[in-house]
Amino acid sequence: MISFLHRLNKRWRRSKGEVKHAGNPDEADQRLIAEKLDKQKAFYENILNKLPTDIAVFDADHRYLFVNPGAISKEEYRKFIIGKDDYEYAAYRNRDISIAHARRAKFLEAKETGKEIRWEDSLTDPQGNMITHLRRMFPVYDEYGELSLVIGFGIDITDRKVMEEKQSAMLKQLSKQNTQLMDFCSIVSHNLRAPLVNMSMLVDFIEASNEPDEQRLLISKLRPVIENLHATFNELVESIQVKQDLEVKLEKVCLHECIKRTISGLATEINKLGARIETDFSEVSVIQYPPAYMNSIIHNLISNSLKYHYPGRPPLIRVRTRTRENKIVLSVEDNGLGIDLEKHRENFFKIGKVFHRHPNAKGFGLYMTKTHVEAMGGRIWVESVPEKGSVFYIEIDNRIKQAS
Amino acid sequence: MKSIFLIDDDPIFVYLTRRIIASIDRQCRIDEFADGDLAIRYLQKIHEKTELLPDIIFMDISMPVMDGWEFLNEYSVLKPKIEKDIALFIVSSSISPQEVERSKTYSAVSDFLIKPLERGKIVEIIDNARETAL
Repeated sequence: MISFLHRLNKRWRRSKGEVKHAGNPDEADQRLIAEKLDKQKAFYENILNKLPTDIAVFDADHRYLFVNPGAISKEEYRKFIIGKDDYEYAAYRNRDISIAHARRAKFLEAKETGKEIRWEDSLTDPQGNMITHLRRMFPVYDEYGELSLVIGFGIDITDRKVMEEKQSAMLKQLSKQNTQLMDFCSIVSHNLRAPLVNMSMLVDFIEASNEPDEQRLLISKLRPVIENLHATFNELVESIQVKQDLEVKLEKVCLHECIKRTISGLATEINKLGARIETDFSEVSVIQYPPAYMNSIIHNLISNSLKYHYPGRPPLIRVRTRTRENKIVLSVEDNGLGIDLEKHRENFFKIGKVFHRHPNAKGFGLYMTKTHVEAMGGRIWVESVPEKGSVFYIEIDNRIKQAS
Repeated sequence: MKSIFLIDDDPIFVYLTRRIIASIDRQCRIDEFADGDLAIRYLQKIHEKTELLPDIIFMDISMPVMDGWEFLNEYSVLKPKIEKDIALFIVSSSISPQEVERSKTYSAVSDFLIKPLERGKIVEIIDNARETAL
């Protein structure tokens, strides 16, 4: 640094040559001038050293003339680097040579184009945080048009970068939600319209008919359509409520209680099929969760396992919890029909998707389960082998805070 | 004798459509399929037997196991091997313009009809099929 400032001083003195040669100053004057210069030197040095950016100045061969403490904080390294290039510095600091290659390429770009160049580079600090700098490098020419210096400086834009990443994640989330919303609208239009169309057609037929027997037959067909409409409507309302429940109440949910409730609700099917439900909550038996969501998740998954059992094989359903770092994984495993995931993986949790021929399948259950799980910041996925069975996994963040 | 395939999982709709068709042309043979998968499998089996192939297909979009779009993907592959001229109509309760646009990307689709299917429309379709068959 000293040598760089010395050079600057020399350049300055040269350009102000008339001062040096004007008259014949006595010693006192010379001392005064020297003092003034030292003060000025200290002033500029202080500014360069205190600037909260990295500054490095190179000669025309990419050797360091100056670096400020913003660029290299340790004085020992700062002293070493003067007159050296990045290859020598990388060897000295035991660093990867690829950094030197990359910096040389940038230097040559600035030197060859004669223009300012900008780029961003990211590196990981010793604490493992990603630090991003916006770097600029530009050539400086002397009065004869010769390249005399290349100045590089960089500012830490980590905060901005983090913000940008957050925004892009948010954008992704938004576009995902928009797609879900469009799916939702199309299913609403379809699932509500279909029974309405049936009702209006039935009424047309009833009106056109003159035979009481036929009219009675047609009227009897109205009932299931109305029930279907009713069920669909309730499910849609329920799923909209989940999306709007921004302040759901978290409570301690006891999984044993939850299972007990589900089993009693599904007792008829369980008995009819001879189903066995085994639980293993030895790792986690109580979860902080909205009770209604947890009940609905467990009810949906178990009733799916019963609904899609393998014909003639009594359902065996295993529900268990495992902890993984800060996560709890709840799994529901069955020995049922399974699903061809090759064909259906993309659509798996989509609303209105049905994979088996079953009279009561409307494609709401898994969609609702996914909605519940994701509303609480969790994940759901499935593994399945056709004709062997399926395992649904739900990952729950164990650190969910109230109204977060 | 005309032959019509109804591919729809909604039993009420199938029942009513059947009645309308029967009231137009008692001679019509109607085959029902509750989803795209059942229909495409049958078509794959009989695609060389022109006498078993339908003149008209009415197909829903939203169905279990294999929906209308998935059916159309497979049907488009099968179609070049079929020598009969089959008019395929999407009959959907959806009123989404995107679905109508999407249906236009399939050359196999003659038209996109929105439920309820009106008697007059069915008469027109059966008449057209009759003309081309002659």
